[in-house]
Amino acid sequence: MARPSSSGARRRVVSLLAAFTFLVMAVTGVLSFFRPFSISLVGLHALMGFCFIAFVAAHVVNNGRNLKGYFKSPVVWVVLMVSAGLSALFFFQPAPVKAILGLSQNLGPALDRFEVTADGMRYQYHPSPDYEIELTVQAGPAYDVANPPKIAIWLENQGGYHIKTLLGEVDEGEALPYWNFKRRGWEKARKEAEEQGEPDAVSSPTPNGSFDPADYILPAGPETSTPYKLLIEINAEADSHGVYPDQPSLVYAVEIDNVNPTVFQLPDLVGYPKREDEDGKEAWSLYFVDDSFGSAVDLIDSALLVIRRGGGLDTSE
Amino acid sequence: MNDESQTDRRQFLQKSLLGTTGLGMAIVSTSEVVAKPVPGEVEAGVTQEVDVLVVGGGTAGTIAAIQAGRAGASTLLVERGAQLGGTTTTGGVAFPGLFDAWGKQIIAGIGWELVKECVELDGGVFPNFAKVPRRHWQNQIQVNLFLYAILAEEKCEQAGVAIAFHEFPETIRATPTGWQVDCLGFGTRRRVLCKQVIDCTGGAEVVGMMGHPRLREKETQPGSMLFHLGEANDPGRHQLHQLYVHGADSTNSRTVTKANMTGRKSILAKLRKEKKRLMHLQPETGFRESYRIVGETMITVNDYTSGRLFKDAVSNAFYPVDLHTKSGVKPKPLKPGTVPTIPLGALIPKGSRNVMVAGRCLSSDRLANSGLRVQASCMGMGQAAGVAASLAAQNGATPLAVPLDEISRVLAKHGAILPGKK
Repeated sequence: MARPSSSGARRRVVSLLAAFTFLVMAVTGVLSFFRPFSISLVGLHALMGFCFIAFVAAHVVNNGRNLKGYFKSPVVWVVLMVSAGLSALFFFQPAPVKAILGLSQNLGPALDRFEVTADGMRYQYHPSPDYEIELTVQAGPAYDVANPPKIAIWLENQGGYHIKTLLGEVDEGEALPYWNFKRRGWEKARKEAEEQGEPDAVSSPTPNGSFDPADYILPAGPETSTPYKLLIEINAEADSHGVYPDQPSLVYAVEIDNVNPTVFQLPDLVGYPKREDEDGKEAWSLYFVDDSFGSAVDLIDSALLVIRRGGGLDTSE
Repeated sequence: MNDESQTDRRQFLQKSLLGTTGLGMAIVSTSEVVAKPVPGEVEAGVTQEVDVLVVGGGTAGTIAAIQAGRAGASTLLVERGAQLGGTTTTGGVAFPGLFDAWGKQIIAGIGWELVKECVELDGGVFPNFAKVPRRHWQNQIQVNLFLYAILAEEKCEQAGVAIAFHEFPETIRATPTGWQVDCLGFGTRRRVLCKQVIDCTGGAEVVGMMGHPRLREKETQPGSMLFHLGEANDPGRHQLHQLYVHGADSTNSRTVTKANMTGRKSILAKLRKEKKRLMHLQPETGFRESYRIVGETMITVNDYTSGRLFKDAVSNAFYPVDLHTKSGVKPKPLKPGTVPTIPLGALIPKGSRNVMVAGRCLSSDRLANSGLRVQASCMGMGQAAGVAASLAAQNGATPLAVPLDEISRVLAKHGAILPGKK
């Protein structure tokens, strides 16, 4: 029996390494789709991907002559077009693709998931394995499932300053002016703090001075924990009623207190935003909703905020 | 010596002073008035017969007295200090509230009339009640405390209310038609024969003298001493600085003396530390808590936070549950739409006759009291007590026996907002 040449052994080792790294990537990729986000799993998948690139490169070097033949075949153009089409499909994510992605249990690096259902909408935010926020909005009679209202969800500290947007598209700012105003103010303040080199303003030991949402949502301890608010701004397009050609957006809010935790909470209607100029600067304040509103107050039937702390559903208070 | 010669001598002294010092300092005002002679001023003993005696001319007492006077009852208002307004003026908490809730006014009547006139005369501004306040205190109304005290006095006089400053009840005895109350001031002993008493002393001191039970916590909320360091105070525009006075107790002259001296010492220490000028200092601590009565009805925190509409509700109230402790305060806001109410029974000591309270000593548990104790709510209950006491005096009845419809009718006539009514 002839001994294999050293170059043959090298080829086999490289090919097997490429195959096994691919196997690990495939398994971790599928698991990442079905399992909740895990940095261990995603880390394994990503780093193994780098190894795979290296092994594939070595594989190409080892088998260059044979591989050249593939590119001479006219089939290569079909393959390239199919690959480009799939890439575009998965990148731009039309509704059917989104529906498939919606089946994923992995909330991804953004740690959140938003879905529109026939009954309304559901938003989950899972910043750590021990902390999960779930907001379920039950559609009211004025809620059009085919053309759902614009919505933004964000967190504010006790001083009323935006600390994190959980959900909201910047190009929807005009439809959701209150959130947009708060968000822009936060971005400006954060930028100024960073330019002035104020590290404490970015991750401050003083809770109400911090730009880091983790200081509010997942404080290091009860002594540094302060209540914060979750706000919802919702607006349906062209919903005229009475004196309004288009009723303003409405803002709902609920306070979250990690020191005195409550599992189930109901956000309340706070008011509607109105522009005011304060010393020549744009400002938005909330005003109480009165009888002049119609369908806007029927967009939401009810909203339920559930916060699971310490894993699982903790119902002890 | 006649008035003219007095004036001449003062002018001479002022001119001499300016001339002597040569500093060119302007005397701020040279206009003068002369107080009218007080009948029987040389006599120590005074006897007075009235329908309603209001003890305590603070936030609630002033309104109770004006209301009783306007309702036709002969009324005497006895105040231990030198001016009306209590916490709003002497305490310096010159930002009464809250008159509104959830975009609507819920407390009006005489208290609102006084606050409104004060702000308008002072050129101040009102908060927009339609706007959602970012903080619970934002719709409190900034008033000029000096002006408020004078206007309160004027409204009492216009309502025919007699005022006795620097006096306080010494003994109280029940009579077949009401009460005999002996008051003591400096150089004055006053015997008051009245049909009804409204105790607006804050700590239900009169009710205590009558022998009715009262409640008190082992450790009460701190008081606040108000002051201003650095730049000049601008009354009616900005709130004063405040400093907690732990253990502040309004029960008697000894405890009040102790609280005031403690507060002033702390401010002196602060001033030395910060090296700023002291620009304003209130003469007395603002007290938050002492005794509460045990009433015919006790308002619990659940009643308060659920906005229970009592059958005998006579006034609204609105403020977060706001218990101050040694480590500060963490207000617990009321749920949207909630407007607590104050029943008549919470203003009447249990088993009593011919006596009511108004103000922070109403019958309530501690947490409910921490929200009920604020000024607008106290004004609302003051007006309700004024109506009930005057009707009781006129009908020869005790306040609990006065028909609620009649109380509501008179309250509405005098501009009050009745609970449960839009």
